[in-house]
Amino acid sequence: MTIAPTATLPPEGPLSPDGPTAESMAGESLWKGAWQRLRRNPMALIGGGIMAVFVFVALFAPLLAPYEPASTEWTELSTPFFVQGSNSEHLLGIDRWGSDMLTQLIFGARQSLIIGVVSTLIGLFAGALLGTLAGGLGGKVDTVIMRFVDILLSIPSLLLAISIAAAMGKSSFALMVAIGAAQIPIFARLLRSTMLSQSRSDYVLAANALGLRRRNIILGHILPNSLGPTIVQATLNLATAIIEVAALSFLGLGEDDPAVAEWGRMIVSGQDRFQIAPWLAFYPGICIAITALGFTLLGEALREALDPKQRR
Amino acid sequence: MPEPLLQVRGLKVHFPIRKGVVLQRQVGAVRAVDGVDLDVHKGSTFGLVGESGCGKSTLGRAILRLTDITEGEVLFEGVDLAQLKGEELRRRRRSMQMVFQDPMASLNPRQSIETIISEPLRAHDITFDNRRVRELLELVGLPASAASRYPHEFSGGQRQRIGIARAVALEPALVIADEPVSALDVSIQAQVLNLLEELQDRLGLTYLVIAHDLAVVHHVSDEVAVMYLGSIVEQAPSDALYAQPLHPYTISLMSAVPVPDPVVEDSRQRILLTGDLPSPANPPDGCRFHTRCPFRQETRCDDERPALREIQPGHRAACHYAEEILSGHITPREPDEALRAGVA
Amino acid sequence: MTVEYVPGQPQSQPQTTIAGHGDRPLLTVTDLSVTFTRRGRAPVHAVDDVSFQIRAGEHVGLVGESGSGKSVTSLAIMGLLPRGGVEVAGSVDFDGQELIGLDTATMRNLRGQELAMVFQDPMTSLNPVITVGRQITEVLKRHRDLDKADARTEAVDLLTKVGIPDPARRVGDYPHQLSGGMRQRVLIAIALACQPRLLIADEPTTALDVTIQAQILELLRELVSGSQTALLMITHDLGVVAGLCDRVHVMYSGRIVESAERRQLFARPRHPYTGGLMASIPRLDQPRGVPLTPIPGSPTDTLPWSQGCAFAPRCPNSEVDCRMHTPALEPADNRALRCFHPLTTDPRSVGATHA
Repeated sequence: MTIAPTATLPPEGPLSPDGPTAESMAGESLWKGAWQRLRRNPMALIGGGIMAVFVFVALFAPLLAPYEPASTEWTELSTPFFVQGSNSEHLLGIDRWGSDMLTQLIFGARQSLIIGVVSTLIGLFAGALLGTLAGGLGGKVDTVIMRFVDILLSIPSLLLAISIAAAMGKSSFALMVAIGAAQIPIFARLLRSTMLSQSRSDYVLAANALGLRRRNIILGHILPNSLGPTIVQATLNLATAIIEVAALSFLGLGEDDPAVAEWGRMIVSGQDRFQIAPWLAFYPGICIAITALGFTLLGEALREALDPKQRR
Repeated sequence: MPEPLLQVRGLKVHFPIRKGVVLQRQVGAVRAVDGVDLDVHKGSTFGLVGESGCGKSTLGRAILRLTDITEGEVLFEGVDLAQLKGEELRRRRRSMQMVFQDPMASLNPRQSIETIISEPLRAHDITFDNRRVRELLELVGLPASAASRYPHEFSGGQRQRIGIARAVALEPALVIADEPVSALDVSIQAQVLNLLEELQDRLGLTYLVIAHDLAVVHHVSDEVAVMYLGSIVEQAPSDALYAQPLHPYTISLMSAVPVPDPVVEDSRQRILLTGDLPSPANPPDGCRFHTRCPFRQETRCDDERPALREIQPGHRAACHYAEEILSGHITPREPDEALRAGVA
Repeated sequence: MTVEYVPGQPQSQPQTTIAGHGDRPLLTVTDLSVTFTRRGRAPVHAVDDVSFQIRAGEHVGLVGESGSGKSVTSLAIMGLLPRGGVEVAGSVDFDGQELIGLDTATMRNLRGQELAMVFQDPMTSLNPVITVGRQITEVLKRHRDLDKADARTEAVDLLTKVGIPDPARRVGDYPHQLSGGMRQRVLIAIALACQPRLLIADEPTTALDVTIQAQILELLRELVSGSQTALLMITHDLGVVAGLCDRVHVMYSGRIVESAERRQLFARPRHPYTGGLMASIPRLDQPRGVPLTPIPGSPTDTLPWSQGCAFAPRCPNSEVDCRMHTPALEPADNRALRCFHPLTTDPRSVGATHA
């Protein structure tokens, strides 16, 4: 006979400092915990701040810009012998084509954001789909998909982007597809390997033992626990994408319409007057660097916030 | 005696060792489980004990078909699980459940306790409401407020209670508990062991308890089987086995367990085994235990693999010389002498 | 507040006196406290005013569950705690030398030579890319000034001593080529390489199987008994200390709650925590059906020692005063005890009579 059945004993309940307490009735999910860690991280605050400014500028470019974009009003202020620098009318001076530099930079943010986000989303979705199929189903599906991904990966990403952009013609959309395609292998491999390691964990075994359907195990258990590194990678890739947009534009593979401001192309156009007006290349360059830094900082902070080792 | 709930016949689980990048030739196999027979009767607790690498966990998983079976039958409620596939197997899982060693690893960290406990119900299309979840929590001694929380907010013992609640949610006939307390603090282990016993009485569960801790297995089990290198070397009712172990491995294993009593510790005779467990990929010929056996006799032990046979009523052992060891005609060699012999 | 003492009937054996140890203890730990501080978090008192002594040749056990501070105590003695975020107070006197605050170079010389430690996980404590032979000879060359050939001979001797078969060949092996038990033997060989005067073993057998555990315990017993080497055994397993240690200190939440000579402690636990531990573990030498009496709650359900007794929330004997005053570690009944309401009956026998 048992003297004190355990179920009636006060089991390690309300006394426990990390157990349930009366004040906070709702539990704290891991996502919530990650969010709180993120909020306390100065790196995330700086990165997030840069990103917020960037998105704000991109969204409200027409309201923020002091002049009309791609205006040729001040062509005479930008000649091979003289380029108007910063003055009271033009805070950052005049660009190569005689437009207001600040206006062009502000509109350039818009272009960079659209191309960066869309191309990363293309890479993320295509990559995540392939990765989920490969990591979730395994076997032959895995082999076929991963060989395809390996082929993609064996082509240098910039070369791949150039080929796609060349094949599709010069347009913003081509640029997005090109940059996105180059990111597919990164996401596919990352998600697959995280899913494979998660699928060997005990809770997946437990889900199998409970008789859960395979679809539910993959989508309800393995995938949510594998997303963390992919989210981090996507943030970091946004930075790379923005740099690649600039690089491809620099190589002349970007948007065909010269009226559309784009940071990479602004660097190129500034080149022939670099001797007399280095800021023509410097300003767009610094914009690219700061934006990429912002996304990288945020990505690193996310990595720390989502890292399981940070959990107690 | 009624038909056993679970009958395992000639069960083998071999993990192939492959070589080569493209063709992947099979060059050998790890014989994790190598021919096991056992019967588990309804409402009883069957204990499976052995050291790491003996195949006890693989056996448990193979019974639940969480690992592929190489050969043999697993008759559960009269159906051979080894033959089941896909949806049929999935439905069958409703009546057999598992409790895992590491309660943190076996709970999905991103799900709330409510989701975790109700998941088996949803998977088997059973309608339920919040009352059922509260009932299950209460059954394992957790407050209803636990439902909205997440695994990382609980202590080890509480997490194991959650794992147990999930396992009994479907009211299974058989529960396999793989090292249910070994990851817990000493003072918590008894809570979980008592809970398991209490649930058995209340829900009429049948247990297969797998553990390395002989004292735990002895405490909970009606029948105990000792495994060594993929097969059962001794099996008997719990008290009989512990009162009079017959197989040299069991004898040495029991003499090796430290007892928290200095009087016992100072007076007992210890039989030290020499060397380590041989690799299950390349098990020794003859009796698998002969390389470490302190009672080993020349040639027969090295050449002939002993069968599990009944030495006393209900007490089976796989040793050629069980009777002689029992009667004291064969005595263990001294550890030092044995060590030197083992070196060669 | 009167504390009720039951006249103790020492049930067996007189106190063992260890001959030839002299009066001066080898190691004297006095009011050792270790506090972990982390920015934005409340400081954690991992070890709180711990005092004990070890004489030469004596075997002392430090028993507790996770979070009891037993491992932190040993790391503090060895000077192995991380530098940042840790405050160490109190004194650790090793044969007249104060170890707390000792400069790194002197401490480094003492470690390995006079003090040695064996850890729980033999795989992570050995360097995976260096042969075990070199890991032993490194210590010999550094602390005993042996040349290469002598060090190798000595390494083979040490491996023989710790029972590794074919030692001449094994010195060339890498750690992954050895089994868990063999690796632990190598670690013990390294620890004993310079004949230290104090050996600290932190859960040396927890990662090992029962039969291998028995081998390692037997080895430790053989190596330290009869020598002047003192042993500090840190473990959660009461069974391990029962057979190996002369004196046992039971720790809970950073403080020693009961310490006694082992036979007296096991024959008659007085602290409810000690008694609770003994009543909650199933024993191999008892028939089935003896119910277990668990300790309710979990080791995290503690009260800060500054407010009362840390064990009070889980204690069957606790009364109002346990949550208002902090009990002191006081001599009682051939032992030191930190409790207002010690056990008067043995919780194990309660279970047995109801069976």
